[in-house]
Amino acid sequence: MAHGDLDVPPLRSGGALAAPARGVGVVRHVVTFGRVLREVGIEVGPGRVLDALRGLGAVDLTRQEDVYFALRQTLVSRQDELELFDRAFAAWFLRAPVVPLVRRQDLRRGPDPVRDTLDPTAPGDDAAGGPTSELGASVQELLREKDFALMSADEFRRCRRLLEAVARSRPLRASRRRQPDPRGDRLDLRRLIRRSLRSGGDPVEQPWRARKLVPRKVVVLADVSGSMDAYARALLLFLHALVGSGRGVEAFAFGTRLTRLTPDLATRDPEAAIARATEAAVDWGSGTRIGASLAEFNAVYGRRALSRGAVVVIVSDGWERDDPGLVGRELARLQRAAYAVVWVNPLKGSPEYQPLAGGMQAALPFVDRFLPGHNLRSLEELASVLAGIERRHAA
Amino acid sequence: MGDAARGYAASVSFRTIDELEAALRATGYLPDRGLATALFLSLALEKPVLLEGEAGVGKTEGAKALAAALGARLIRLQCYEGLDVSHAVYEWNYPRQLLHIRAAQEGTVSEDELFGAEFLIRRPLLEAIDSDEQVVLLIDEIDRADEEFEAFLLEVLSDFQITIPELGTITARRKPAVVLTSNRTRELHDALKRRALFHWIGHPPIEREIEIVKLRAPEVSDRLAAEAAAFVRGLRGLDLAKPPGVAETIDWAHALAALGREEIDAEVVEATLGSVLKYREDVETVRDATLVALVEEARAAGAKG
Repeated sequence: MAHGDLDVPPLRSGGALAAPARGVGVVRHVVTFGRVLREVGIEVGPGRVLDALRGLGAVDLTRQEDVYFALRQTLVSRQDELELFDRAFAAWFLRAPVVPLVRRQDLRRGPDPVRDTLDPTAPGDDAAGGPTSELGASVQELLREKDFALMSADEFRRCRRLLEAVARSRPLRASRRRQPDPRGDRLDLRRLIRRSLRSGGDPVEQPWRARKLVPRKVVVLADVSGSMDAYARALLLFLHALVGSGRGVEAFAFGTRLTRLTPDLATRDPEAAIARATEAAVDWGSGTRIGASLAEFNAVYGRRALSRGAVVVIVSDGWERDDPGLVGRELARLQRAAYAVVWVNPLKGSPEYQPLAGGMQAALPFVDRFLPGHNLRSLEELASVLAGIERRHAA
Repeated sequence: MGDAARGYAASVSFRTIDELEAALRATGYLPDRGLATALFLSLALEKPVLLEGEAGVGKTEGAKALAAALGARLIRLQCYEGLDVSHAVYEWNYPRQLLHIRAAQEGTVSEDELFGAEFLIRRPLLEAIDSDEQVVLLIDEIDRADEEFEAFLLEVLSDFQITIPELGTITARRKPAVVLTSNRTRELHDALKRRALFHWIGHPPIEREIEIVKLRAPEVSDRLAAEAAAFVRGLRGLDLAKPPGVAETIDWAHALAALGREEIDAEVVEATLGSVLKYREDVETVRDATLVALVEEARAAGAKG
């Protein structure tokens, strides 16, 4: 919570603003500042700029602290944007030395297998029922069994749609909200009274309400370290489709550290989404620190109860670079908050596979279901497991 | 509505942030400048303010203090999943309606009569909208409500009116001051955020935390207040499932004073740790060497101050 402690960015000499004076000057200044914020990735609509101006009209402009808070409280609405705001404020109003103001540096290097495979100009991936249906049943069957790591770019494109369909089946849970249902378990009193009016107060007809079913939260933590490279593209497509399946899905990537991908994957166009996600996770192809990544998840997101009652899916081969014991401890912590933990390990697809990797061994006691995820068929299995999962399944 | 504190003072208004800050202090709440600014702007711009921050940093207390400072009535809506119109806005009094139908002669009760103001149970949102006195509406832990309710709330906060099908539309004659709080267990909808001013409350700096402890637990010695605050601050630096908030520091200081302590030591900290840390795993993290080191640091800080 580095930010919470820092109320105001370090000020430069004395109180008054380095900004130009009141009136028209202020308006132009704030409008331009809004544009600066947009450039660094903070969403600032015209309504907010107007609020900022009204806010400045209500405070003492010679008190820098008040100007800072008035702008911050009207222009920013997310805690994770405060740091960007502070830097922009320092640069713009306090004329502090300019720091690079980009949300993320583009750290990708060299040719990118993910993006290249998903080149939007490549033919044959969008026509619904096109190439796929022409393939014939046996070819499709083969495709479903084929390991993602061994697929050609062309094969991969052909199975994309199937992959998306798999991702759309979500586990459900009973909401506390009720809706009319003749087989419900609670009387609908409002309707009962209305109907009783006709029968002089006798509840002849009895309308019922039942709990509504809503999608359960799903949190996916995907290992994108070097050893998982071969599965990265399939994984990202799967995540994108999952995020697109409605609210309550959170996607993270980890290698040596954790990156939240949800906002990047929320774009409808898969190519654009995946390009953004690839850019966001600076960790591609690096080593793996599963335990440290889980710890980061627990500390930052678990505390916000993101995982409470969620089905948590971890996709990783379980190769831990550091202490495997940490994997076990952090996963135990995660499992206590979650509804169920599913571990998907693409290596499990091989008949000879034994969970020998240290991280994997340490994790298994805290995993409710342990599944392969190396081909389409195994992802279908994952989907059906997710749809029917109960708390504390035995692996 | 246990929280409905009625104030009959003529409505107060504040011309500057300083005035509001002084009024909040006078109620026993010590806001930082940022919070005072947020509440001031909320009144000046007539916009709801969303207070976010970890549990125990004083979000709810802030709204209560605002009501006290304004001499306004506080109406609190505690959110939870499944919160719906019948608990947030209004409900019909079904037993009374049924009795009424029974008591009347058959066929003489009309629907209008049955769904009249007499049979209406007013819940917090309706109370706040349909009030002639000044009201502070506290919508507490909005992140716990589901999205359906959030969407409904958005409507209420844009028009400040409520429609009851049987009675018609009720529009606020006097806009309530609205304070929303969130522990950020989920991200709120953008549309709702656009409607509101946003203020993030962090843990207070050590000096202010000491000041708060002394104000809320006057029986605590200066030395003890400083040590307790320093120790809790040390705890927040550890990797805990639930880092303690200011509320915990105050509780703990009360407990230590009740034990007749003027200072802390490893033994008493170990014995009372349960009032600061609420999770078994956190208590285990803060054992032995960690605990002793934190106590030493806190005592050193207390001696300096």
